[in-house]
Amino acid sequence: MTTLAYLLLVTLGGYGLAVVEEWSSSGRWRPSAPLLRSVALLARESLSPRLLDRKLFEAAPPLLLVAGVLSMAVLPLAPGVVPVELATGALWLNAALVYVAVALLMAGWGPDAAYPMVAGFRFLGQFVAYAMLVVMPITAVAMRASSLVVGDIITSQATLWNALLQPLGFAVFLLAAMAICYLPPFDQPVAPGELAGGVVGEYTGARLVVMRLARLVLVLSLALAVTVFYLGGWLGPLLPAPAWSVLKTLAVAGAMLAVGRYLPRLRTDWPLEWGWKVGIPLALLNIFWVGVVLLVADL
Amino acid sequence: MIQFLFVLLFGVAAIWFGVKVFTTASMMRSALALLFSMAALGALFMAAEAEFLGVLQLMMMATEMSIMALFMIMYMMSPGGLTPMEMTHQKRFSLVAGVVTALLIVSVAVSQFREPSAVAVAPAPDAQLRGLGGELLERSMLVFQAAGVTILVAMIATTAVAMRRHE
Repeated sequence: MTTLAYLLLVTLGGYGLAVVEEWSSSGRWRPSAPLLRSVALLARESLSPRLLDRKLFEAAPPLLLVAGVLSMAVLPLAPGVVPVELATGALWLNAALVYVAVALLMAGWGPDAAYPMVAGFRFLGQFVAYAMLVVMPITAVAMRASSLVVGDIITSQATLWNALLQPLGFAVFLLAAMAICYLPPFDQPVAPGELAGGVVGEYTGARLVVMRLARLVLVLSLALAVTVFYLGGWLGPLLPAPAWSVLKTLAVAGAMLAVGRYLPRLRTDWPLEWGWKVGIPLALLNIFWVGVVLLVADL
Repeated sequence: MIQFLFVLLFGVAAIWFGVKVFTTASMMRSALALLFSMAALGALFMAAEAEFLGVLQLMMMATEMSIMALFMIMYMMSPGGLTPMEMTHQKRFSLVAGVVTALLIVSVAVSQFREPSAVAVAPAPDAQLRGLGGELLERSMLVFQAAGVTILVAMIATTAVAMRRHE
């Protein structure tokens, strides 16, 4: 039942997001585009480069998908509806996300081509900064709940959503989440037009389908993470609990995809510099702020 | 029984990837094999009910080994890592050291072996977390803070040494 709910979320939600993604890059609403495009890609020949590192090249797309699915596995849709309940759930999310960087590094190295390799190493360099900005806001969220169990983090927000109590952490986490999904304007590792597709540049056919599906799963997973950590997860009036989770998640994911339509791609060194020099001090300030609030107000 | 099988599976995977670190001819594969060896160890910890340790291992080692791969590629002799490389050196010494260490580890494992019924049950994951947090912030606080500050100083010093001087 739980598995079915998550499969439904990934298939239907993922399809909807693919439509938004299509709009975000082309500016047109075409509800059938993801279906047609995936059928076309699946029917197309999967070319492989001439001098590839085959193991890394073949393993990267499934690993990216696995990382997305694993990161989603600890995030509940409703009380008790969660594939795996871990006592270290909030930390597990970050552990699973690290394998996104590993997968992109492998995808960059595997085809033995210049652009993907530049893109893979570029993402790894940036990822270290992004990962800090995921794990430090999570620290502040877990402080309030006195627990790393994701369900406890949601119930701790019954009085006030974390997005309102710690807006700084919310903003940092949301931006870091977008950067980890390499969504525009943080899409330097794929960078169409600059690196000719970057890490996915040498992938065609079925392998490209897996790569793109994996990114959508990742977007959904991180949108669900934003929902459970900052927007009260399943909490909400009138509607049943899972409906709130799904609605909030899709809204966050849609917003994450839509922003890219209106922003140019950032210069490669900017997100790196901002991440270390601005993001980390802000995340520390957020931890300090939450600590003071918890001591004084006992929310 | 299933738990034992998983521990065994991840243990064998860790050893297999560990062997691959040295038998491959590519820097990148070597680094990634080490990464997956460490990840298999993390999974082994989780299978052995040491949840926090397992998650931490999965998280930290993947980041560290990826960064190590980056530095290895950056500083090695063959640009781009296109030339096949020998991953072993000081063969005789390494062989002896490896065999001696393995024997030591096996002897410790064998001497500490207990019947499964005599093995203490692992505390619940949240109790492990609480215990670890208590340890870090109470009894061993000074040790860990001192170690943390030392590492931070080393990092700052390394960066300062590596930076170009502005005249």
